[in-house]
Amino acid sequence: MSDHGSGPRALADPTVDIADMFVFPSPERSGALVLVLNVFPFAGPTARFSDVVDYRFRIRPVSVAARRARASFGVSDKEYTFSCRFAATAAGNGSHVVQEGACSAPNGETVSFRVNDDAGIKGKTLRVFAGKRMDPFFFDGPAVLQSVATRSLAFTKPGTSTVFHQNVLSIVIEFEVLTMFSIGDGPLFAVVGETATAGAPTNRLERFGRPDVKNVVMFPQDFDPLNRDLELREQYNQEDAFALGPAYLAAYHSRMNANLAFWDRLDGKIDWPLDADGGHPLTELLLADFMVVDVSKPFADDSFFEIERMMLKGTPHKTCGGRALDADCMGTFMTVFVNGGNGARISHGIDGPAVTASRTFPYLVPPEPNPPKPKRPALAPSKEGAHP
Amino acid sequence: MTRLIAAPPAKENAVADAFPTTSGVLAMANLRAQIEGQEREAVAGRLTVIGQAGLIALIALRGHVLGCIADYDRAEALAEQLARNAPSDPDAFLARARTRAMFHRFSHALTDLDSAQRHGANPRTVNAERAAIFQAIGQYEQALTIYNEAVKRRPDFNSFGDLATLHAERGQIAAAENCFTESRKRYRGASPIPLAQLDFKRAQMWIAHHNLQRAHMWLDAALHRLPQYAPAQGHLAEVEAALGETDSAIARLRPLASSSDDPDYASQLARILGAVGRFDEASEWRDRAAARYDELLEKKLERFADHAAEFWLEAGADPHRALWLAEKNLEVRPTRRACELVARATHPVMVHARADLTTSML
Repeated sequence: MSDHGSGPRALADPTVDIADMFVFPSPERSGALVLVLNVFPFAGPTARFSDVVDYRFRIRPVSVAARRARASFGVSDKEYTFSCRFAATAAGNGSHVVQEGACSAPNGETVSFRVNDDAGIKGKTLRVFAGKRMDPFFFDGPAVLQSVATRSLAFTKPGTSTVFHQNVLSIVIEFEVLTMFSIGDGPLFAVVGETATAGAPTNRLERFGRPDVKNVVMFPQDFDPLNRDLELREQYNQEDAFALGPAYLAAYHSRMNANLAFWDRLDGKIDWPLDADGGHPLTELLLADFMVVDVSKPFADDSFFEIERMMLKGTPHKTCGGRALDADCMGTFMTVFVNGGNGARISHGIDGPAVTASRTFPYLVPPEPNPPKPKRPALAPSKEGAHP
Repeated sequence: MTRLIAAPPAKENAVADAFPTTSGVLAMANLRAQIEGQEREAVAGRLTVIGQAGLIALIALRGHVLGCIADYDRAEALAEQLARNAPSDPDAFLARARTRAMFHRFSHALTDLDSAQRHGANPRTVNAERAAIFQAIGQYEQALTIYNEAVKRRPDFNSFGDLATLHAERGQIAAAENCFTESRKRYRGASPIPLAQLDFKRAQMWIAHHNLQRAHMWLDAALHRLPQYAPAQGHLAEVEAALGETDSAIARLRPLASSSDDPDYASQLARILGAVGRFDEASEWRDRAAARYDELLEKKLERFADHAAEFWLEAGADPHRALWLAEKNLEVRPTRRACELVARATHPVMVHARADLTTSML
């Protein structure tokens, strides 16, 4: 799953567990950008945001530093931050509890809002929604596990989406680019979603740049020649996406090189030859784990990872990049990983989200209403495997 | 819980610790939301085995926090079912080992851990589970070896917390305090539950060593983060009663005794009410606790033998039954605490026997 349960801490505390992040041009307003951060996978009726967590987007201007096999971004030190905080106290009881929140933007504007207010709140330069929505992610996670276990691609048609009709807590921010970023910054920006303890000292708890980097690229441990018994995602989550620390860098490289090579082998040919040191051509690009968007370029259906794909090809990108709610990003990623785009698109058997995204703010569809109460105490037999 | 004696006040102030965690009310609502969300997936057959194991752990956690035996029972039933549904999955065996250990079925739990390892579970994960069982059955040296290795490999909140509870149980207070402090310093999270659990264990240590002020302080700290934490409320009531704050203790226990399906709270309430001469009320709660213990012992003797022995030793006033249960508990877990319980249970039986002998000689 995209980033659902990406490590022991995330599994233990869903309020800090980032499920997903999306960045796309507003379908409603030209020149506006939309940021979406989803937390709390499998959110039940009483799910609420934590009152001590800073839910934030960190955005930095970037540039293309190199193309082809050594494709990489140059990252500016300048940073723009959108920060959302929530209150502890709430009126009401059970699933009807009302929670208040506030979002501060890098231009100094702060807007207050009420969680689960469908219309959200509109400030001078930004709109904000926070509340329960249906999880837009779709991917056959169990098939990934089966692929790892059997060493062969196990996607079927249709696939099984593990978050089908499940709910998450979403934060949606829409803002006009010109009112938020300084003239001269951009048009390329790198976005990272984070949960961190608020106050001082602050601890980064989870971060998100691209989908399934942790759960598909970092999670399998069997192929790693250095740290086969080490759960690296916990440490990885705590790193600054814009400045990885030196302590675990070799471990991340080893894990990613090994796992990306595994995915590449699955179609029986090598599309990503390793370098003399065993480095995979995608490793550095993916370790720069942020979502890049070009605010000067138009949206297209294949925008997801298009900027990076064109960098690898050595040609200029044509779309805004980022990631839209309905984009089949995992189909794109699996195709890149397995055949490098040198073959047919890899299908994971699920073509879109459970319900197509809305064209109006807050864009994510309303939560699954009145979720069925499970019968107790039976558990249905499941696909075997670990938690991706 | 053992009887308490007041000690000089502690100088530390745990509650002054400013490390912020999510409000306890929100955290418990979120735990419920997490369980409900995952139950939907489990029922639909979309939850992986490790996901189901996670759900079982969450239900057991809620049982612990809220003092809800029904949750423990449900976790156990689900774990048994999971092990049947996925007989070759190491995570299914791990989940069942945890619930079996929870109900003091330690030998069965160890067998499950062996099976988990045979089916490919990470040996470190299995060893961590083994260590908890070794500790529970008094095989401290084996537990210590595993915990020390864990601290050396990854000195974090969990590894120091495990080591702290082991030192605490062995009566090594200074070492335990040091590890509790190290564990606390290393907490990196927003949930109040792990910290409240750690502070609760620290309080248990001070209760066992008769330092009521320190116990009070750590129980306050735990409840400050997680007001619904039933075992902490129960222990705080016990401490308050020992400090002479009987009204507060009774007020704290009454709602728990009324709502919880764990008879410990009714048992405590009966004893405290009896101690202040409110015999009618005490009798009512004693009867309620006795009936519930009978019910639980019929189903799970191993799990409830120690607490039931405490009950019949005190409020239940049946020393022979208390001794029998204390001995049963000692068979399952030959720990120092279990030996002390037998010793305490033996004393009134001997006194009775001596009194009977004296009477017959007259």
